[in-house]
Amino acid sequence: MVMTAVRQDVTAADPPSAPPPAAARRRARRRTYLWSYVYLAPMMVLLLAFVVYPIMASLGYTFYKWDGIGDPSEFVGLANFRQIVNDSIFWRSLGHTFVYAAFVVPIQLVLALALALVLNNKRLRFASFYRTLFFLPVVTSAAVIGVVIQLLVSNFGDSINTLLLNLHLIHQHIDWLGDPHFAMAIIILVGIWHTFGYNLVYFLAGLQTIPDELYEAARLDGAGRIAMFRYITIPMLRAVGVVIVILAVIGTFQIFDLVQVLTSGGPFFATEVVNTYIYHLAFGGSNANAVQPDIGLASAASFIYGLLLIGFSIVQVLVLRSLARRRGAS
Amino acid sequence: MSSPISRRSLLRGAAALAGAGALAGCSSGTSGSGASGSKAKTTITYWDWYASQASWVDNEIKLFQQAHPDIAVKKTTQVSDKYADLVSLAYRSNNPPDILMVPKSPQLSQQVSQDWLMPVDKWATKSWQSSFPENSFVEGVDVFGGKLYTAPFAAPAPSLQLYIHHGVFKDAGLTNDDGSVKLPKTWDDVTQAADAIASKSGGKVAPFGFGNSTNTTLAWWLDLFVRGAGSPGGAAVGGIDGMDYRVGQWKFGSDRNYLDVINLLMEWKSKNWFYPNSMSISDEQARAFFERGRFGMTVGGVWNQPEWTQHKFTDYSLVTLPSPSEAPKALFYGPPGGRFVAVSSKTSHADEAWAWFDWLYSPDAGKRWVEQGQGLSVYAKNNDPKSVTFAPFSQYVAMSGAAVVGPQPAIRNPKVSAVQLPAVKPDINDVLAGIYTGQLKDPQGALTELEGKMNQALGDAIKKAPGVSAKDFAFADWDLTKAYTTKPGA
Repeated sequence: MVMTAVRQDVTAADPPSAPPPAAARRRARRRTYLWSYVYLAPMMVLLLAFVVYPIMASLGYTFYKWDGIGDPSEFVGLANFRQIVNDSIFWRSLGHTFVYAAFVVPIQLVLALALALVLNNKRLRFASFYRTLFFLPVVTSAAVIGVVIQLLVSNFGDSINTLLLNLHLIHQHIDWLGDPHFAMAIIILVGIWHTFGYNLVYFLAGLQTIPDELYEAARLDGAGRIAMFRYITIPMLRAVGVVIVILAVIGTFQIFDLVQVLTSGGPFFATEVVNTYIYHLAFGGSNANAVQPDIGLASAASFIYGLLLIGFSIVQVLVLRSLARRRGAS
Repeated sequence: MSSPISRRSLLRGAAALAGAGALAGCSSGTSGSGASGSKAKTTITYWDWYASQASWVDNEIKLFQQAHPDIAVKKTTQVSDKYADLVSLAYRSNNPPDILMVPKSPQLSQQVSQDWLMPVDKWATKSWQSSFPENSFVEGVDVFGGKLYTAPFAAPAPSLQLYIHHGVFKDAGLTNDDGSVKLPKTWDDVTQAADAIASKSGGKVAPFGFGNSTNTTLAWWLDLFVRGAGSPGGAAVGGIDGMDYRVGQWKFGSDRNYLDVINLLMEWKSKNWFYPNSMSISDEQARAFFERGRFGMTVGGVWNQPEWTQHKFTDYSLVTLPSPSEAPKALFYGPPGGRFVAVSSKTSHADEAWAWFDWLYSPDAGKRWVEQGQGLSVYAKNNDPKSVTFAPFSQYVAMSGAAVVGPQPAIRNPKVSAVQLPAVKPDINDVLAGIYTGQLKDPQGALTELEGKMNQALGDAIKKAPGVSAKDFAFADWDLTKAYTTKPGA
């Protein structure tokens, strides 16, 4: 009632103004929408050309045996899917991909959070310099990093081995990228270092959204550093943390370039991940010899991997949502 | 109020920039086409994968351009292991080079059927063909449907050799009475030499080394040693290479020689006789390490030599086909005829591309090829050992008898060209890597499985090729130590 009276008063006090005609309002709205579409158009074109179209096209190729030359003509039905599902190398590659993610994500996130806490300290001098330093690997091409690391461990591998042998940490020379027991570990280490900067920046951004007043109040209440970290930092970072975890997991499942440059999936598929497996199917093997590529088979593998990732993402979202609900209830 | 104006300004600016960019692009294209369209000079594009042979190609381009001032050759050297993919992509984007080295994949018959290549019969007349050795132009090899697409460039020669580092051998006391290096000929010789190197160097120098980062070179060891033992298929990968033509099948599991060589390699490995980083370094790195004496023996091809010569490293020797006994029981085999470059069907400078084609195939270019130590020429007169002054290359020329013409199913039955063998993975390179790194614990089982898969794939491919049978691949009368003449229809 009161609100109505006030509104009536205001209306009565204002000089009567004619509302804009509906057509003019529509035009203005359309113009606003139009600009939105114009700004979105380049991204949409790229998305359609390089994401949607390849996905749709490769779905068609999954039913053909096709080496990529000419047009696909040999229809094989679901044979490509059967071959992939029965290929032990595919499942081995999938296992390697999960191993990579299982090591990279937690280690990288813990390290990134720890470093973000240090860099977020306002008393730290040259913080911007350190941030740049730690972000540098992210803006460096994975291929370049791969080549340099490959040269380092192969050319200077002798020196590294000699040092470790002298320190009695190893008993015999290790071929870091040629030994199946160590090659994946090297890839994981390089992978952690390479994309570590992303998570560092995300965590820093998250930390900077936490109001200082909370820490001040906690300090006045006698809370120590660990208590403040546990009861203020972690809960306040939860929302951004979920996004970081999801992005990190998705990023690790896309691992390709580092593996391709460092080991090309070898030795004997010991470091083959699904993306290099698909690449080798599509472009003819993991060695320099000419073998017939099979785009149809590669497309089927991509499709199966895509389905597995969608399933995994749904599970991930459900688990995170359930955890959030449980926390809310408690 | 100002928002729409600034948006418009922004768009105008963007449009102006885009327009300027487009104009710049157009002007550059116009200039280029103007240049190529004028009578002054036509530029033809040429692709190859020759890295260590680049000095020969560059010199030929220089001489060719001097002789043809109206033609410029723009060379692009692609990375060898991606060459076939890049050529395929170039054709898919309708932008192939005017003339190119024939890629190893897809099969040449498929490249012809896909209309990638232009027949050169218009220029390659009978008189032009007559300068080549007899049987150089063979249906199913360089001739398809009676039309000529490419031609042989090199004479058959052993594709792999065991290189011996003189310094390492001398330090290990592996010398003859006259002070020359004692070259190993048999498997036992190689083992004894390795033992001497390992013990005399105190483990500081590895007897053997290779660079397997591209997953290829370990199989070279198997190929070289198993041929000496009498297995004519060796360990080649790709298409129907590596098949034992005596039976028209792969015999990785049923031919005992394969397991024997692998056991020998594993015995050497167990003694730490291989350079420890061999599985992860590249062939180029291995070449450099051999040059520096990090290991005493490596397997490679004649393509090693130009780079070592460039680095003034000449203190080495080479042997081929080390065998269980003195004489190798099988050799290297190649087809009559051969392939090197071909003119693209998409070229708009066919005459100019042919001129470069003709130049590359000229006896003079072949002579310079041999003189530079790149390999043997298809013209026998160019391969006179007396004209070769460089000792290691002279050794290579002298071993040309270790390579002869082998059976050719495509000559017996041209329909064989339609057999498209799918890639079988893991292949022999993979299996060897698996055994070497200890991931495959049962070498015999792995070889038998590979043999089964390869022969199954061949059987399936034959079923899809009308007019082809498994018998087309079997040459029971083949004497492995002699050249074989395949008769059409026989």
